[in-house]
Amino acid sequence: MDTLVTITVVSSSKDSAEKAIDTAFSEIEKLEKLFDFFSPDSEISLINKNAGISEVKVSQDTLDILDKALYVSEKTEGAFDATIGAVITLYDFYKKVNPEDSSIKKNLSLVNYRYLTIDRNKSTAFLKKRGMYIDLGGISKGYAADNAVETLKRNRIHSGLVSVAGDIKAFGLKPDGKPWKIGIRNPRAKGQEDDIMATIELTDMAISTSGDYERSFINDGKRYHHLLNPRTGYPAEGCQSVSIITKEGAFTDAFATGIFILGPEKGIKTLEKMGFDGVIVDSQGKVHTTPHIRGKVEFKRSS
Amino acid sequence: MNLKGLLNSTTIADRILLFILILLSLSGIFFIKEVLPKGQIVRIEINGHPVYLLPIEKDRIVSVNGSEGNTIVEIKNHKVRITESPCDNKLCIQQGWIEKGSIVCLPNRVVVIIGTPEDESNKRVDAITG
Amino acid sequence: MSQTRELMQSQDKYRIALLSAYALALHGFESLLPTPIPWLRLGLANIITLTTLILYGIRAALMVTLIRVVLASLFTGTFLGPAFILSLGGGVISTLSMGIVLSLMPRLFGPVGLSLIGALFHNSAQLFLAYVIFIQRIEAILLISPVIIFLGTLTGSVNGIVSDMLIKNLKKTDEKIQN
Repeated sequence: MDTLVTITVVSSSKDSAEKAIDTAFSEIEKLEKLFDFFSPDSEISLINKNAGISEVKVSQDTLDILDKALYVSEKTEGAFDATIGAVITLYDFYKKVNPEDSSIKKNLSLVNYRYLTIDRNKSTAFLKKRGMYIDLGGISKGYAADNAVETLKRNRIHSGLVSVAGDIKAFGLKPDGKPWKIGIRNPRAKGQEDDIMATIELTDMAISTSGDYERSFINDGKRYHHLLNPRTGYPAEGCQSVSIITKEGAFTDAFATGIFILGPEKGIKTLEKMGFDGVIVDSQGKVHTTPHIRGKVEFKRSS
Repeated sequence: MNLKGLLNSTTIADRILLFILILLSLSGIFFIKEVLPKGQIVRIEINGHPVYLLPIEKDRIVSVNGSEGNTIVEIKNHKVRITESPCDNKLCIQQGWIEKGSIVCLPNRVVVIIGTPEDESNKRVDAITG
Repeated sequence: MSQTRELMQSQDKYRIALLSAYALALHGFESLLPTPIPWLRLGLANIITLTTLILYGIRAALMVTLIRVVLASLFTGTFLGPAFILSLGGGVISTLSMGIVLSLMPRLFGPVGLSLIGALFHNSAQLFLAYVIFIQRIEAILLISPVIIFLGTLTGSVNGIVSDMLIKNLKKTDEKIQN
């Protein structure tokens, strides 16, 4: 998994900082082993292998993340759906291959979060239909950031920043007393000069961004990216990038995906209902924001 | 082929040009090595994307997965080297230990660069999302 | 008169085809050689280019270069790929530089000097293209530039000497034929 994880902490002791950071990295590695779609030994792969066959006993973290994923599915009317696995594997973002319409149609019935059930008492998870796949790519990084921050706090760190490939959680204040300053990437940046479109100051908050430029390729003039609409199986149109801000990283990550698929208008409405803040750049490049955020975000240029 | 024969093949301008080129390129080789700054951050990139940003002070061995296989990078005593790589020519390994500059394994698309914190951190923000 | 001109033109085409074949063969031969130092490309085909330039002029030399680069890339399946762009850029710039120097100051440099100029421009063009296409880090390019130029100078001088020998040999054979 080529994900860049960066952990920054404020501490008066270099040794305790190093120890805390190492522990946080181990926690992230542990979660990766549980959630890795491409590893046959992960708990997620176990659930996928037993789809339509039997329920699988899983650890607390897996139960937790699946529970959160289902919650986000409900709140985004199914726009975020962790069972997107059966369709997203039809696309190859490295070899730049997009699937035939018939393949997508065939696998669309295998995408439905309602067929994923978890039992908190038995600690099990079950995928009802054979051929269904869970892919936690849209929520695992935010979840990992949350856990990493908890680990740092348990190791007596009071201020820091964890970034898991752009899913960020910040807590405490910097040594100069100021909050952590996060840059939001310009989805149509042409170089280093205009790569950041806005900055936002965060205290004890998480932020995630989903963009159509992250894993994408262009075939026959059409842009194929990895944020697929679970109802059609095709990349969602309507947004270039969506950034969500709230307390939990798992939610910023998953809602960023879900809101992207819902589109700008429905997206902002959903965010207001959830009480989250967000910045949406629609397909025309126009910026939409939730009302409360306007004071906290500084845009680089008017767009 | 004797020396006289060789001299006959060349004009005065030829010889001057040869001399200047050798002088400039050799001095270039030494000069560039000196001018590069000693860095504190070891940056390992695959395909142009950074996958590791490590302090040069801590000895460690990391394995990165390039397009052809695993390249193993070792940091020890404030120096960096590539110990193993799946490429044919093993040029990257032959470069040995470096204190500054970079080592490139072109076939595996792995680049190891020694840099300073200033080029790593974006001066305006603490992190970038998106 | 027109018949002689036609004869000369078809002779030209024949020559260019033959020279291109030689250049291609040398290039193929060179790629089979084991290379302990991969950056050290002997550039044997440049011997043909330089000889063609001196004996038959810049147009012929350019054609030989183009044909050789295109055919070589077609054979190795790298046509229109990045390697092809590097080869083409280096080859054309190098041939042009040698041709221009030869036409502006014909007696100043011998084959060795011209070969050095060609090698210099060839390597510089390739370093620039590599920067633009592959490695956008100027520090990496600056780091290897002096080494590349140095190696190019060495191979350039050897190629120049061989070209000189080839030209003298060809001229001798021409005289023999005419006598």
